[in-house]
Amino acid sequence: MSYIKDTLFSLSASYASGKVSEASEFAFDELSKYLECVKSDKNMSFYGVMKGESDYTLMLDAHIDEVAFTVTNIDDNGFLTVANCGGIDLRTLPAKQVLIHGKQKIKGVFISTPPHLLDGEQTFDDISKIKIDTCLGAKDLISPGDIVTYDIKPCELSYGRVTGKSLDDRAGVTCLIELGKRLKGKKLPINVCFSVVDGEELGMRGAIPATFDISPDEAVAIDVTFGISPDVTSDEGGYLGKGAMIGVSPILDKSVTDKLNTIAFDNDIPYQNEVMGGKTGTDSDVISVSKNGVKTGLISIPLRNMHNDCEIIDLKDLESTCDILERYILSGGVKNA
Amino acid sequence: MLKTLKSLCLIDATSGDETAVREFICKEVKDFCECSTDNLGNLICFKKGKKTPNKKIMLDAHMDEVGLIIKAITPDGYLKFQTVGGIDTSVMLSRRVLIENEINGVIGCKPVHLSSADERKKLPKEENLYIDIGASSRQEAQELVSVGDRAVICSEYIENGDKIISKALDDRIGCAVLIDLIKNYDEYDFYGVFSVQEEVGARGAKVATFGINPDSAIVLEGTTAADIADVPSDKTVCVLGNGVAVSFMDKGAVYYRPYYDFALNSNIKCQPKSAVAGGNNSSVIHLSRDGVKTVALSVPCRYIHSACSVADKNDILSARELCEYMINAIADGSIE
Repeated sequence: MSYIKDTLFSLSASYASGKVSEASEFAFDELSKYLECVKSDKNMSFYGVMKGESDYTLMLDAHIDEVAFTVTNIDDNGFLTVANCGGIDLRTLPAKQVLIHGKQKIKGVFISTPPHLLDGEQTFDDISKIKIDTCLGAKDLISPGDIVTYDIKPCELSYGRVTGKSLDDRAGVTCLIELGKRLKGKKLPINVCFSVVDGEELGMRGAIPATFDISPDEAVAIDVTFGISPDVTSDEGGYLGKGAMIGVSPILDKSVTDKLNTIAFDNDIPYQNEVMGGKTGTDSDVISVSKNGVKTGLISIPLRNMHNDCEIIDLKDLESTCDILERYILSGGVKNA
Repeated sequence: MLKTLKSLCLIDATSGDETAVREFICKEVKDFCECSTDNLGNLICFKKGKKTPNKKIMLDAHMDEVGLIIKAITPDGYLKFQTVGGIDTSVMLSRRVLIENEINGVIGCKPVHLSSADERKKLPKEENLYIDIGASSRQEAQELVSVGDRAVICSEYIENGDKIISKALDDRIGCAVLIDLIKNYDEYDFYGVFSVQEEVGARGAKVATFGINPDSAIVLEGTTAADIADVPSDKTVCVLGNGVAVSFMDKGAVYYRPYYDFALNSNIKCQPKSAVAGGNNSSVIHLSRDGVKTVALSVPCRYIHSACSVADKNDILSARELCEYMINAIADGSIE
C-alpha cells in the first residue's frame, strides 16, 4: 500500500497542465522502471507496451493533466487575470494559494473582496473579476499563457483516506504504475499498453490521438467519479472505501463491463457499479469511437470535492482497482469473448 | 522581529485557546520584563525603562486568531462547526484544516459538475459547511475529535519580496512588534499586554486595561487593506507599503485626536485609515474606568481573516518605529 500512496503523493505534489509537464515526467520515469515508454512528440502524453503471447492489445488509459488556470492579463500592480482550464467552482477561489508557472515559480493568492466593498450578497459568475495577487510587480517574470495551478501538498486524513489536488486523475495514473510493477516479468496472454494522456480536462483531447496511434483492440479507462458526501447523494456517486466503481453505460462494451464485474465478484474484491445513461465524461467516450471502434470499459475511483484542491479518496479503492485489473489482464481481457 | 513573526504565525491559537502563543511569547520576553498571566489568560508585561513617565502607558496586541470550533459530529462522521471570529464563507470553502494541532481535515464542497448555475453563483450557508476527516461514522470521528475542539485553516508562511502571505497576521504582527519593543526599547517604563479573545468581542483587553489602569494606550493591530485590482482609491482603506495606518474613528472607537494628528505629522511613514470600518481592542480600552487616551496603529493586511492574508514588511517596520516615537512623545510630554 505504501508504494501506491508514495506514488500518488509524488504525482499530486507535482504539476501538469498545458506546457507544465512535471507530473508527466515523474510518471514517465516511474513507469519506465517496469516497461519501455515512448513520449508523444505532440504533447505530454506517453505510452509503453508490455508484450504478451498474442497480437491482441489491451490499452489502459489514465489522464495526467489537472484542472488549472492560464494567465490572460497582467496589470501594472502585478494582479493577474486568468481563465480556467477545466471546470472550476469560482466560489472556492478567494484567498486561495496558487502557484504561477512563469519564468520562475511564484506563489500567489486569489483576491478576496473585503466585506465593506460588497453591496449585499457576493455573486460568482465571472472569473476575470477574481484576480490573482502575485504580491510582486512581476511583469517580467509572468507572461500571458503561463499556467497557474493550485499549490498544496497532499496529506493523509484518518482511516486510510488522503487529500490533495489533482487526485483526479493522478489516482488513475497511480494505478497504471502499480499495475506496471505488478505485471513486470509475468507471462501475459495479451499485449498491455499503458497510456498516460494529456488534455482530458479540456475535452479528452489527449486520448484521441493516443488511441489513434496505439490502435488497441480493447481499452479500459481509469478515472475518478463522484464520492458520496453531504453534498453528493447516493444517486449521484459511490461510497469511498467500498471499492472501484465499474462503469455501466450504453457507450461502454458490455462484454468488458460484465467481465470486470465477474472478476471482482468471483475474487471477493470490493467493487461498486456506476450506471450512466450515455456518455461517461471520461476518456472512454472518445477511446471507444477511435478508428473502427474499440471495446472499452471504465473503472472509476470515488472521489470527494472533485476539481478542488482538497479532493479526497480512499487508498483501498486504488487497491481494489488494481486487484480487478491485474486479474482481468492475466485472464486475457475479452480477447476470447 | 520578522523571524519571530514567522514563528508566531505558524502557531495555532484561536480565541479562548491562546496558551500556545502565550507560552511562546513568555519565553521570548521573560528575561526583559516582569510578566504575569491574569484570570482570562492575558499576558501582562511591565517593562522597566531608564525613566518613569508621569503617565502610565499601555501597549496592546492580541494573541488570538480567527478559527473554527467543532460543535457536533454527524452520524456519518462529519464535523459541524461554527466560526470563532468573523470568517467569510468563501475563504472556508474547500480548504484544508488542522484540528487541535493534530488531525487533518477538509471543508468539503459540492463538485462543480453537480451544482446548478444558481448554486455556482452564490455561497452556501455557513451552517451547511462541514469538515471531513476521513471518518465514516460518528464513532470513528469521536475516536479522534471531540465537540469543543478547535481548528484553523492551514497555510504556509510565504515571503514574496517585501510581502508576507500567511494566516494570523492579524494580530501576530502586533505581537511581534510588542515583543521587539519589550526586548529592545528601554527609554521609558511601559506596560505591554498580549491580550486574549479580541476576535470574539475584545474581551481580554477589557479586563487587562482595568487591571493596569493606564492613562494612555497604543493598540497594535492589523487592518483591512483593499488596495487590490479594480477597487477605486477612495475605497482602499489603506495601501500596502505606504506605512502603518492610523485610525481617527472606526466602528468601535473615536480615537484621541491629538495622538492621531501627532502620529500623522511625524516623519515616519504612515497613512490615515481612510474608512470608518472595523474595530479592535481600542473599543474597550478607550472606555475603561474614566477613559483612556487611545491610538491604534494598524498594519495594512489584504484578505485579513483568511489563511492567505498579505502584509508588507516595511509597514511592520514603520509600525515598530512609530510606536516607539509615540511612547517617547507621550512619556516626555510632547503631546498631552
